[in-house]
Amino acid sequence: MRRPPLVVVFIGLFVIALGESAGALMTRLRPQIERYARARVAANPQAHGLAGSAEYDAEVTARAVYTAEAGLSFFHTHAQGLGPLAIFVSTIAASAVPWRRARGAVYALLALGALFPLGYLAYSLAALEWGREVGVEAIERYVLAPLGTAAIAALVALAVLLLAARRRATA
Amino acid sequence: MTREPGESWRLPPVASLLAAVLLIACAEVGGASMVRFKLDLARWARSVILARPAIHGLVGVRDVDEQVIDEALVKFDASLRLFHLHAEGMGLVIIATTMAAATLVSPGVPRRVLLVLLTAGGAGYPFGYLLWGVLIPYHGVERAKAVAEWLAWIPFGGGTIVATWWLAAVVGARLVRRA
Repeated sequence: MRRPPLVVVFIGLFVIALGESAGALMTRLRPQIERYARARVAANPQAHGLAGSAEYDAEVTARAVYTAEAGLSFFHTHAQGLGPLAIFVSTIAASAVPWRRARGAVYALLALGALFPLGYLAYSLAALEWGREVGVEAIERYVLAPLGTAAIAALVALAVLLLAARRRATA
Repeated sequence: MTREPGESWRLPPVASLLAAVLLIACAEVGGASMVRFKLDLARWARSVILARPAIHGLVGVRDVDEQVIDEALVKFDASLRLFHLHAEGMGLVIIATTMAAATLVSPGVPRRVLLVLLTAGGAGYPFGYLLWGVLIPYHGVERAKAVAEWLAWIPFGGGTIVATWWLAAVVGARLVRRA
């Protein structure tokens, strides 16, 4: 099998390393992360719609903290999945797509798509800084959707290119 | 297509591939067993917990005890799920990272150390979740977690984290030199 460009391999490895480290930190530093999240919600009362009522504010804070923790968890799991995916799929492109420019396009889309898990880090931070709903929606629209689309486009493009390469070989 | 020798992947050692494949197989078996033996596993865990009331803080009041047992059973179930997920993921991570190490790190002691850390660390780490699950009914959630942490997550997980960052740094340095 041919090796894809070093930069794609590096991005894949970097994302795997980040995902592994995030998992370990989430386990070891859970209380500290929760304290930080609670502090950030308290520091942004307007964004979270805190009303000064202890019961209501506690519920809003708990939901925001849960969302931030879920974002970290998604970051960990997606990084562990997309890192190897970028390396394996780019290897298929390197080995089976005969057209240089088409290969380059697949590499570029895959490299972007491999950064998709980082969107969940932004998701966690945005949920705390901008409020749960506004933050999550903004990150989903402007970070997760474009990066996820890049990964999907890379896979679809690769499938089309594999079919075209097969047709060329049999012609 | 012409192939330049320097641009091809080298196969990782057979031991690494074997470890990865067996790990993925264990994950699949674990996932299937969780579904097939869900009730039996829960019944077994419950009976072991009930046989050790002092360890789990059971007081003999049904309402209180049921809540404690439920919490332990939820963690028990979560540990099996986490084993399944991590074993599947780490199997692929071992293949990807050892292939990169075998190809992109110069032959010698550092490469051998990297391959050992990536393989043993990646393969051993998910079994920490299995260990945690098995120990929960015997030693309680927190004590079982501490044992799994020191016996599996810290040594194996730590090993694979260090090795992956090391490998990423080696590949990054190569990228910079080439640029």
